[in-house]
Amino acid sequence: MMSPKFKRTIVAWGLLLPLVVVTLFPFAVMFLTAVKPAQEVLTPNWWPSEFRWSNFSGMWAAAGFGRALVNSLHVSLIATIGALIVSIPAAYAMSRFRFAGHGAFRQFLLISQMISPIVLVLGLFRLLAAFGLIENLNAVGGVYMAFNIAFTVWMLQSYFDTIPRDLEEASWMEGGSRWLTLRKVFLPLCVPAIAVTAIFTFINAWNEFVVALTMLRSQESYTLPIQVFSLVAGRYTVEWHYVMAATLIATVPVAILFVWLQRYLVRGLSLGAVK
Amino acid sequence: MHNRALPYLLTLPSLILAAVVIFWPVLDLIQIATHDVSRFGQLRDFSGAENFRALLADPDFIRALIRTGVWTAAVVGGALLVSIPVAIILNTDFYGRSVARVIVMLPWAVSLTMTAIVWRWALNGESGMLNSALRGLGLIDQNIQWLASAATAFPMQIMIGILVTVPFTTTIFLGGLSSIPDDLYEAAALEGASPMQQFRRITFPLLKPFINIAIVLNTIYVFNSFPIIWVMTQGGPANSTDILVTYLYKLAFRIGKLGEASAVSLVMLAILLVFTAIYVRLAMRGERA
Repeated sequence: MMSPKFKRTIVAWGLLLPLVVVTLFPFAVMFLTAVKPAQEVLTPNWWPSEFRWSNFSGMWAAAGFGRALVNSLHVSLIATIGALIVSIPAAYAMSRFRFAGHGAFRQFLLISQMISPIVLVLGLFRLLAAFGLIENLNAVGGVYMAFNIAFTVWMLQSYFDTIPRDLEEASWMEGGSRWLTLRKVFLPLCVPAIAVTAIFTFINAWNEFVVALTMLRSQESYTLPIQVFSLVAGRYTVEWHYVMAATLIATVPVAILFVWLQRYLVRGLSLGAVK
Repeated sequence: MHNRALPYLLTLPSLILAAVVIFWPVLDLIQIATHDVSRFGQLRDFSGAENFRALLADPDFIRALIRTGVWTAAVVGGALLVSIPVAIILNTDFYGRSVARVIVMLPWAVSLTMTAIVWRWALNGESGMLNSALRGLGLIDQNIQWLASAATAFPMQIMIGILVTVPFTTTIFLGGLSSIPDDLYEAAALEGASPMQQFRRITFPLLKPFINIAIVLNTIYVFNSFPIIWVMTQGGPANSTDILVTYLYKLAFRIGKLGEASAVSLVMLAILLVFTAIYVRLAMRGERA
């Protein structure tokens, strides 16, 4: 006879099947189009007659992928490093001090977390324009950094709270200054949490659309999402095999990273939520 | 003395940065919304609520507002209906569960822009792979021009919205389910409760705080969601799939009605603040419990 677990397996996969099909469908479309020979893209066959791997190198040149990749790295690194530099001290203060304004700062973070750049996009455009920073990748990185602060402080604080104070207190007892304790005891323990937070900030910035669309107006400054979008929007003929190849390359590394680290995100967010 | 100032010094940089980048634009938007403004952004006379009145008289705005309500309710509700059973299934022990989890979480890992671009191609009327798949299965015998009219484009966008919202929602519910002790179900089963009764009497009530949080957070995210609709149809054809965010973008950067665009922003901010207040209250209630 079938074991109960085996039966459960069939029921579970049976029920999940529609969702699994709809979820995997776009990935299949992306992959199969990316490897189709150009003349087959517009014919309605699913399977390509041969796998044309050279589409990827063709796309790299035709789609200006390299420059967009560098631009994306540029803004994402500024956003990540910048957000960490201002968030680590803030999260440390929130975790280790009780001070007037503690609650107010938390509320402030919550509210700024709820406001997405799209709502403010005109104001942001005018802010950057006032300083002549349209087209400026550093400024776009700075905007990402500001919009990520709520998230990074929230994540870091929830991890910092889980680190027992005894360790730091022991170090103070032995005469270590706060700064020394911070450097030698506290921060080393936080490296994994900081790394995870950094990666999620990086992914956020990497994927961002509306700010980049608004502020970056010429091809030289496009980030990946805008570059790929520009290959599609407002064109009479779209080279879909190149577009899908670009989408695939831009997506897969980040997606793997995300799936791998997703449980940390959940843990961090839920730790923060119950506090 | 030194110690008392320290926390303020530590939080100050993040506060200043967020304040400049978030609150300066808000103040600027209030300025523009209450003034007569040229399309290049020069403020002219103070005009009070004139821009808001112009909005209310604009049928496209009213339609976008209503559509935003439909979009948000449909995506949030749909994601909820899908995520509860999915979370319950993923919470049981079966072969291949970790693979199933990864598949369910996949849409979360891809940027909305890229997802929308892929779907725009998949829904292509002439050579899109959805049409060829449906024809291959014998479900349709003529190509459907999915994105050519709102009647097919908007439901598709809602479907995609649901698909990308499910991972986050399921994750919240998985967290909720893992907090329900197993012995409750064992006791219920001993008493002869059917699975349906167990769901209605145990799972659903205990999951309710998580459902509330998911509804509020998703409402905020979906309400703000721009890339899916912008990349697939840019709110078209003829503004028929516009929601507030896409309409706002057009007003600001296509038509150049900066005053009205700022007014839309402020209306959205007000709605968001209400949602945030609800969220804070829910979160606080959870804290006390």
